[in-house]
Amino acid sequence: MGEKVNAVEPYELSLHEAAEQIREKKLSPVELTESVLGRIKAVDERVGAFVTVMQDQAVRAARTAEKEIADGAYRGPLHGVCIAVKDLLDTAGVLTTSSSRTRADHVPDTDAAVVEHLEAAGAVIIGKTHTHEFAYGVITPTTRNPWNLDHIPGGSSGGSGAAVAARMCQGAIGSDTGGSVRIPSAVCGTVGLKPTYGRVSRRGTTSLSWSLDHLGPLTNSVHDAALMMDAIAGYDRADPATRDVPVPRHTEQLTAGVENLVFGVPRNYFFDQLDPEVESAVRAAIEQLAGLGAELREVEIPYPDLYMPAEFGILVPEASAYHQEALRKVGDLYEDDVRVLLEVGELMLATDYIKAQRMRTLIQQGWRDMFDGLDAVLAPTLPAVAARVGELAFTWPDGEEEPVINSYVRTSAPGNLTGLPALSVPCGFSAGGMPIGLQIIGRPFAEPTVLRVGAAYEAATDWSDRRPAGLS
Amino acid sequence: MSRLRPSCSGATLDELLRVARLELDPERLPGLGPVVDQIYGLVDQLDAADLGDVPPATAFDARWE
Repeated sequence: MGEKVNAVEPYELSLHEAAEQIREKKLSPVELTESVLGRIKAVDERVGAFVTVMQDQAVRAARTAEKEIADGAYRGPLHGVCIAVKDLLDTAGVLTTSSSRTRADHVPDTDAAVVEHLEAAGAVIIGKTHTHEFAYGVITPTTRNPWNLDHIPGGSSGGSGAAVAARMCQGAIGSDTGGSVRIPSAVCGTVGLKPTYGRVSRRGTTSLSWSLDHLGPLTNSVHDAALMMDAIAGYDRADPATRDVPVPRHTEQLTAGVENLVFGVPRNYFFDQLDPEVESAVRAAIEQLAGLGAELREVEIPYPDLYMPAEFGILVPEASAYHQEALRKVGDLYEDDVRVLLEVGELMLATDYIKAQRMRTLIQQGWRDMFDGLDAVLAPTLPAVAARVGELAFTWPDGEEEPVINSYVRTSAPGNLTGLPALSVPCGFSAGGMPIGLQIIGRPFAEPTVLRVGAAYEAATDWSDRRPAGLS
Repeated sequence: MSRLRPSCSGATLDELLRVARLELDPERLPGLGPVVDQIYGLVDQLDAADLGDVPPATAFDARWE
């Protein structure tokens, strides 16, 4: 089930480990960046995580960071560490394709808000990671899973998940409209946080669905995710979804433990159809948290039959609205799986879209009521591990088949529709050696709480210390 | 909302595309129709919800700054 390895090369360091060494001047940003670039050169031909490796820009940024730190101008934990960014996010002067032939030559003039924040924190942007085309899917066909190259890395932020898992960066940014941070996190064995809707600005990020899009970090530890959130969270008038809510220090509660916290455990929906190995690992993780002092309460998930209708009722027409002109001008350049959904969205009624938005209101109210007395809800991130490349559907124990995309979005969509913060942390492996994720869903803007829970679980286990063995 | 929608193929699909001002090569239509039916079928499940006066989860902020 992977290897537990003591880091020996700089690229192997987690974000907070690298940050500590840089702060103590035991490691230079240039040394780290060159090591990471070497790692990418060694393994990315097989993994395919990157659309663009920003070698020259990264080395320049690392030299700048090195000089600033030497001059006493240390900016904080992201200063000089290597971060990858999903290719949906604009990077000034750097190709930004959304992994689509329709944008094969697209070079934006400005940076996305998140890229601005990362660079202001001193991060070295190492490259742009592959997405399922325009984030509209869960496969990321350009990319393979570092734990087993015959399996998918999930999506749509599959390049980010694979890059983090294969140690080709210290952290990455993904987007999540129907699970696209949490899905690759779970199947690639990384930590992934979909923050509260409105916590992180999407300015400069290609939209899939304005109502459901979120940006968040993928990392090799909960601590690392908290450090990235400190840099990227905050209000931005240019993104009308963001809320002017005070931004906490996301690292402050990481060692507070879970004693006396109350967790809801769904008796329906999340556990209705899933791989027995996943169920076993997730239930063991929940019991482990109870053993650390948390109280468990069974909860009934409201409106279990209406998440997928509401999710697709909103996402499909919004995506088609965004792509309306391009579909007519360069429709042949879209991949067929994306193109057909964009065409379907053109044929949906406005009343159906608004009905889905009204359903979202009911779902939000239902979760607010369900959350009475709870600090978080614990659930499987996904009902299955990474699909094999070319596998179209999972077969559940009762013989029912479910398409891979439906399976992965089913347990992810509640987080998008409610907008609640949802963290995926590794909680085990299948017999075949593929990672499994535990999902921790919190109250609105309670990112510190879900990170606290994830950190407590991570500290009590060694799942996050394991690494793919086959890439060395 | 109890009546089922017609299957989206043939003339029905042609008319929907015409209203949407979306011209497609004829060879795309056999693949498109079943996906339209799937998404319509999914969205029609929302009929089960009692929405009453529930407003949509959208809002407009009239402030300038």
